[in-house]
Amino acid sequence: MIVRPATLEAALALRAAGPARPLAGGTDIYPAQAAAAAWMRPSNERLLDLTGIAGLDRIEADAEGWRIGACVTWSALRAAPLPAAFDGLRAAAGTIGGVQVQNRGTVLGNLCNASPAADGAPPLFSLDAGIEIAGPQGIRRLPLPDFLLGNRRTALAPDELAIAIRIPQPAAAARSAFRKLGARSHLVISIAMVAVLAELRDGHVTRACLAVGACGPVAQRLPAAEAALIGAPIAMAPALIAPAHLAALAPLDDLRASAEYRRHAALILLRRALAEALA
Amino acid sequence: MPQVTLTVNGKTSTVEVEGRTLLVELLREKLRLTGTHVGCDTSQCGACVVHMNGESVKACTTLALQADGASITTIEGLAKADGTLHPMQEAFREYHALQCGFCTPGMVMSAIDLVQKHPEGLSEKEIREGLEGNLCRCTGYHNIVKAIDAAQAVMHGKAASIAPATV
Ligand SMILES: Cc1cc2nc3c(=O)[nH]c(=O)nc-3n(C[C@H](O)[C@H](O)[C@H](O)COP(=O)(O)OP(=O)(O)OC[C@H]3O[C@@H](n4cnc5c(N)ncnc54)[C@H](O)[C@@H]3O)c2cc1C
Ligand code: FES
Ligand code: FES
Repeated sequence: MIVRPATLEAALALRAAGPARPLAGGTDIYPAQAAAAAWMRPSNERLLDLTGIAGLDRIEADAEGWRIGACVTWSALRAAPLPAAFDGLRAAAGTIGGVQVQNRGTVLGNLCNASPAADGAPPLFSLDAGIEIAGPQGIRRLPLPDFLLGNRRTALAPDELAIAIRIPQPAAAARSAFRKLGARSHLVISIAMVAVLAELRDGHVTRACLAVGACGPVAQRLPAAEAALIGAPIAMAPALIAPAHLAALAPLDDLRASAEYRRHAALILLRRALAEALA
Repeated sequence: MPQVTLTVNGKTSTVEVEGRTLLVELLREKLRLTGTHVGCDTSQCGACVVHMNGESVKACTTLALQADGASITTIEGLAKADGTLHPMQEAFREYHALQCGFCTPGMVMSAIDLVQKHPEGLSEKEIREGLEGNLCRCTGYHNIVKAIDAAQAVMHGKAASIAPATV
């Protein structure tokens, strides 16, 4: 069953009326369904297609910052004229699947899917993103760390829909970068990925936001490393990120990589991403 | 049953589909356009790539109902009515860019979208990156990349015909 409402109000009414799984690009939903069907477990889930709702596919700027609607695809994000602070997010967009997955898959769908390996999460953590949620009581907002509760778990109630990503206006001087490590360059689940956003004055770091993904159920910021970087001269900064700053990570030990390897990879990726952002 | 109206290779059809029908099933089974292949069903291989409103998408992971009102081009829609091949098809033939041919329809559709999106021209590296969503288990990609390079010259009007392959 699939329903395709034309307005947000109709979509919320359908959501309130009974279980209905939101569907955006479907690039997480369909492969999982096809895999289940191949094991004789076809799904009868009711799908609520959001792509018929006008206006959800917009990227807008207002006094508060940027708003990326629920149906904005990775390709649309790559093509949008966003400031340099978004270079990390744009780089992440270019690594999602391949062009065809980017043409369908949405940025917000990546977050709502809540995979520990969601490549969109670290750049959006480093940009202090929040999620705009619509429900029967109106609109509420949650910072991204409060929205992503765990592996495949979000703070969304069954009668709510995530409608946009909100990003506060970054400083004009902010630069950013993204690095990911996988067994190959594309079509692969990340072993670790990182995003860095930095601001500089007179050759010194004045602000740094570091985020790591695939090293725990949810991406994380690294406040200790961020503090250690303040005031550092550009050339010295990458080496200041130390193993102790990554202590709070809880990487998986699985078939893709050992926990120890992931932790080390995250450190090296952070140093490289920071060097790139500061270059 | 719900209905979907879509224009495929210039011809508009209205088809009854089940809600769960995928675009690739509609194309292959209802419209009998079997040039679009299914290699994996999980959006990995790219054998099923078609153009939806001018953008390449994987038809194995697009619901038919989500294509309502869309304009679709499949591999069957590329050659002219008199059989003249699209420059990309011509280049694939000239450069021996296929062996078993299973990946070819998707490769060609992805390649055309890639070239169209880059009027400034693509380097070899950019062509390879642009093909990340398409797997070929026969050719090793080398001749596919050469074919796309030759086709972009014709598609952008920089050459009148596909440059002959040198051995
Ligand atoms: C071949 C392939 C390669 C991939 N490579 C990568 C990769 O490199 N990195 C990566 O991070 N991901 C990758 N993905 C996963 C996927 O493409 C991304 O996570 C994508 O951003 C998901 O967006 P979507 O719009 O397709 O989500 P959908 O599949 O439509 O939805 C995903 C989940 O989010 C929920 N949802 C979606 N929108 C909303 C909303 N507005 N409100 C509430 N819930 C919502 C859905 O119910 C579902 O549970 C890949 C997928 C494929 C098939
Ligand atoms: S069949 Fe669609 S990507 Fe393989
Ligand atoms: S030619 Fe056989 S898979 Fe590409």
